[in-house]
Amino acid sequence: MIRDMMGRIYRNFKGEILVLPGRTLALLVGLAIFIAPLLTRDIYILRIITLTSIFAVFAASWDLLSGFVGQLNLGHALFFGVAAYTSAMLNLYLKLPPLLTIPLGAIAAVAAGLAIGIPCLRLKGQYLSLATLAFPIILKGVVYIFKQYTGGELGVSGISRLAGSRLAECYIALLLGVSLCLLIWKITDSKLGLIFHAIREDEIAARASGINTTAYKLLAFCLSGLFAGIAGGFYAHYMRLAGPSMLDVMLSFQAIIWTIFGGIATVYGAVTGVVILFPLMEVMRAFPEIRMLFFAVTIVIVLRFMPEGVAPWFLDRVEKECPRCKERNAFTRRNCRVCRTLLIAGKEVSAGTEGQTGHPTD
Amino acid sequence: MKKEFFQVEGLTKKFGGLTAVDHVSFAVHRDEVVGLIGPNGAGKSTLVKIIMGILKPDSGSIRFQGKEIRGKNPWDIVNMGIAGTFQNTRPFRRMPIIANVMVACLAPRGRRRGEWVKRVEAKAKDALEFAGISDLALEPAAHLSHGDLKRLEIARAIATEPELLILDEPFGGLNPVETELLAKSIRRLHRGGRFGRLHSEGMGMIIIEHKLSELMKIVDRVIVLHFGQIIATGTPQEIVENPAVIEAYLGKEGA
Ligand SMILES: Nc1ncnc2c1ncn2[C@@H]1O[C@H](COP(=O)(O)OP(=O)(O)OP(=O)(O)O)[C@@H](O)[C@H]1O
Ligand SMILES: [Mg+2]
Repeated sequence: MIRDMMGRIYRNFKGEILVLPGRTLALLVGLAIFIAPLLTRDIYILRIITLTSIFAVFAASWDLLSGFVGQLNLGHALFFGVAAYTSAMLNLYLKLPPLLTIPLGAIAAVAAGLAIGIPCLRLKGQYLSLATLAFPIILKGVVYIFKQYTGGELGVSGISRLAGSRLAECYIALLLGVSLCLLIWKITDSKLGLIFHAIREDEIAARASGINTTAYKLLAFCLSGLFAGIAGGFYAHYMRLAGPSMLDVMLSFQAIIWTIFGGIATVYGAVTGVVILFPLMEVMRAFPEIRMLFFAVTIVIVLRFMPEGVAPWFLDRVEKECPRCKERNAFTRRNCRVCRTLLIAGKEVSAGTEGQTGHPTD
Repeated sequence: MKKEFFQVEGLTKKFGGLTAVDHVSFAVHRDEVVGLIGPNGAGKSTLVKIIMGILKPDSGSIRFQGKEIRGKNPWDIVNMGIAGTFQNTRPFRRMPIIANVMVACLAPRGRRRGEWVKRVEAKAKDALEFAGISDLALEPAAHLSHGDLKRLEIARAIATEPELLILDEPFGGLNPVETELLAKSIRRLHRGGRFGRLHSEGMGMIIIEHKLSELMKIVDRVIVLHFGQIIATGTPQEIVENPAVIEAYLGKEGA
């Protein structure tokens, strides 16, 4: 029985992950990151891994709203900041534990999603983006006005830690990051994701197909707010601080840059962008004079040669799409793993002579 | 008294100084196919966009099965049973054809018969089959020819199993053989029945078309629009012999 089940899991694993180089690589990198904290207890490395996990969720949540549904949000830090402040203040003033404050902060971010989503529904394109840009700036103003509660520029500090040790925090962040990013990816890969795609491609046509685009756009604002909010509350408890920088335009733009660098409207691209850029920029803190220059030049060069982003560029190199059934295949294969069609660059040879062409060369 | 199926009254739409649709009133019965013709710029597409809820009229009323639908959202109108296609096709470009149609199958009306999750794809496939483009199911819509995009529009519209179907120039971009095939399919659709997983009890239809000879073969009645106004209605035979209609068309050619 158990051997049977293990066998099935192994076959699924082999059939879904090992056959595709992109997924295999993602698995290896993921495993390496999971093992790294055990090998080196270095606080600095633990910190990078923790923050990378948090920001991966943040970037993926931006991609969900802006990449998939096409609602270009220039103020994504709003969700992050609202959740961070909510969690921090609930913890500080009401002494609630992180296990409660983080979900409550995320709910506050969902409310923020509704609050900006409803007025923004009437807006399109650049107008929508400009409006979203304004909201976190307004909230930052509010934070400065109510100094006695929000701490003004200094922020809300002295809140409780997430877990007993840095190592535990790192593992919680990793597990949460991986599961939330997978969940976001699953959403975009579902029937709901199909509707999101359609709204981005042509909103009028989606309406004429019977889709209540208003409701789905609001849902996207809320989902995006939820995930960004979890990241924000988590971040506040990790830093033991909620400050105005968490509402900053710079943070909003970070999400956009990470996602476009990695590959927009893919989710895994957003994660790839964070996994590459965030640690790189942390290491570059050792060279403060050239850090920003290096950042800008890297992005310009990468996007010049990989306009779709790093992840899609890489996948195009190591995987081929079957011209017939559109399944993805490892670049080493000669035949499609599903329909056996011969995979020669640009050519399609029909299947049917399975006996002769049935064996891949790898 | 029998409840009216579909009825438009005093519908008017202005674009600035131009009155694109001018006090238009007509009715369509469930058991008929109505042709809507008129020279370029007559206001035909504007009229159907108003019916579909995409444009808001300035005045007038639109009633469907006894309910006022003017001012309703496009998706509500679709879910009540009116579906239309666009003259300038509007596919979801970067999505595969099958996914284009699945979106319509995911609308409340598309899945009301418990057709859920796995059936959605099969149902979309049947709609593609009906429109004659099922072999292209996995291609992204951006790769399609103009004629195939027209058929995609039709597949997407019938996926919601409408009771009133509005087609804006369905034959555009099709060659004579394809036109013939599609005309047959349209008649079949009108009669109703089962098409794979799609059900229909027969649908009323409004068809806009410039290919008059093909159109006249499949419609029961024709409405002629000129400068936003209805200048004639009648059987195809009456319309081709109507001097006002001939003048509207020839006047345009002569200009
Ligand atoms: N969005 C718009 N803004 C301004 N004017 C418009 C708009 N849409 C259509 N018009 C004008 O309204 C008139 C009617 O256009 P419509 O597209 O309804 O004509 P049509 O009968 O469908 O013509 P065709 O046979 O060429 O498709 C035209 O003069 C057109 O220029
Ligand atoms: Mg037109």
